[in-house]
Amino acid sequence: MASIEYFEVECPEKTGGRYYQKIADVVLLDHNLIRVIQKIHFFIDPRVPIFVAVGITRKMPGPVRLRDFSDVSVQDDKVTISIGDETYLAKLLESLWDIFGKERVEQPDRFTVVITAGTDETKDLEDLVVDDPSLSIYKDLIYALQVIQPEGFKVRRQYYGDGRFYLVASEDTLPEDIDDLVREKFALLEESP
Amino acid sequence: MILVPVTYKGGIYQHDEIIDLIEDLGGYIIQKHIIATEVVLQALVPKEDIELIQRIGKPLTGELTPSPLVGTEIAVVSMSLEIHHLPHASCDLAEYIRRFGAKTNMVGLARGFGKRIAQLNDEERDVINEHDLAVYLLGNFETCIEQKFGVLRRGIDIPIVVCGGPSRESLQEIIDPPVDGYVGNVGRFMHRTKESEELDKLEEVVGEITRVLDRRREDLAKDPLSISPARLMDIINEKVDAIHEVLSPTPITVQMAGLRVKLPYDQYARILKDLVIEEDVTIGDIVDIHPSRMRDYILLKVRPFSETNIMV
Repeated sequence: MASIEYFEVECPEKTGGRYYQKIADVVLLDHNLIRVIQKIHFFIDPRVPIFVAVGITRKMPGPVRLRDFSDVSVQDDKVTISIGDETYLAKLLESLWDIFGKERVEQPDRFTVVITAGTDETKDLEDLVVDDPSLSIYKDLIYALQVIQPEGFKVRRQYYGDGRFYLVASEDTLPEDIDDLVREKFALLEESP
Repeated sequence: MILVPVTYKGGIYQHDEIIDLIEDLGGYIIQKHIIATEVVLQALVPKEDIELIQRIGKPLTGELTPSPLVGTEIAVVSMSLEIHHLPHASCDLAEYIRRFGAKTNMVGLARGFGKRIAQLNDEERDVINEHDLAVYLLGNFETCIEQKFGVLRRGIDIPIVVCGGPSRESLQEIIDPPVDGYVGNVGRFMHRTKESEELDKLEEVVGEITRVLDRRREDLAKDPLSISPARLMDIINEKVDAIHEVLSPTPITVQMAGLRVKLPYDQYARILKDLVIEEDVTIGDIVDIHPSRMRDYILLKVRPFSETNIMV
């Protein structure tokens, strides 16, 4: 599994910083986000108090299509789908019910789905997008950062886009120069090899 | 007769014999757990009879270990009940202390988090004060602990053991006035404690709690209680039938100088007060009965001999 290329915790209190390094490591691992993040930098100053996390994500895996995890065979007006990876089964069934209706989608056993439909309807079935992991990554990432941050920091601002993300949080109103601080921390990431 | 807190672990077969033996010897069973085919008894037993119990328990695969915290009720005060503090840190510690015989209650503060915004409300304060000792689980930053701890300890008059991320020395330095016990390097963490050095830390917390409670026991011994709380528990168990209908794991929780009886105060306070202990001594003569802030339980505080001039 790919690891994070740059992972730093900056904190004026050395002991506290060390604990937060461990906390961040455990939380990101628990939420399966190690593969997603390329670089991440935390800045925590309990005196202000302020918590800043800035990071760059790796290229996201593309959408998962039906053919990526199953075999589709067409016989007259019957389409048989043999599932190879159950992970996406629930989402697949939901999509199929939406398209064909529950009465035309049967699941005789755990790994087989049979659809009764004309060939026109099932022509591009193999290209059906079943899941798009990049959509939920944002939610997961921000949730994980909220778990990492000290709990009392209820005033938050977060951003995600173009493979970059940040979360700033504090107990008080965020300082006016917060954008400069975030830019400064992003610069650290870009400088690092 | 000196009673020693112990835990007996053994097979379920004929465990009644051990219970009878402890009771016949003048000891008290504080709590009894049956887990699958094993029985765990937390008891106070006479010091000189430990060997006898061990000998009789041996054929029943029984094992007797000293449990310094049997007969105490400890509050584990967590700054909140959010994922930031649970399950690790708070639960790991509460569970570990329980292994040494203490009855631990987790007190999750409604607004304990944050540096400036931390608060302790009157209900939380009163609930914590009903215990024998409070273990405060604080965070990782000295700056925060220094500022917020003053607020969180306001009105708490039981001994406090502070656990926090900074070292023990730093904690001692920043906490003023001093508390009874400190354990450093146990702050907020998000993983399960299973490494040996983490378990050593939990052991250190238990050691610190035992030290603080031993000191309190010494203080109590200087002016002994009018009745031992364990004996009081026995009397209530024997004379109040309603206590056997209570489904809580410990219908009566034994504390160092009192009991928590899990019956409604309005209906049973009067009954308890008039209960005869011996000849013409009633519970009301030697015990203060208060409503607990925890549900509608009854809190009994045994008065010392110097106040009552009665010893039963």
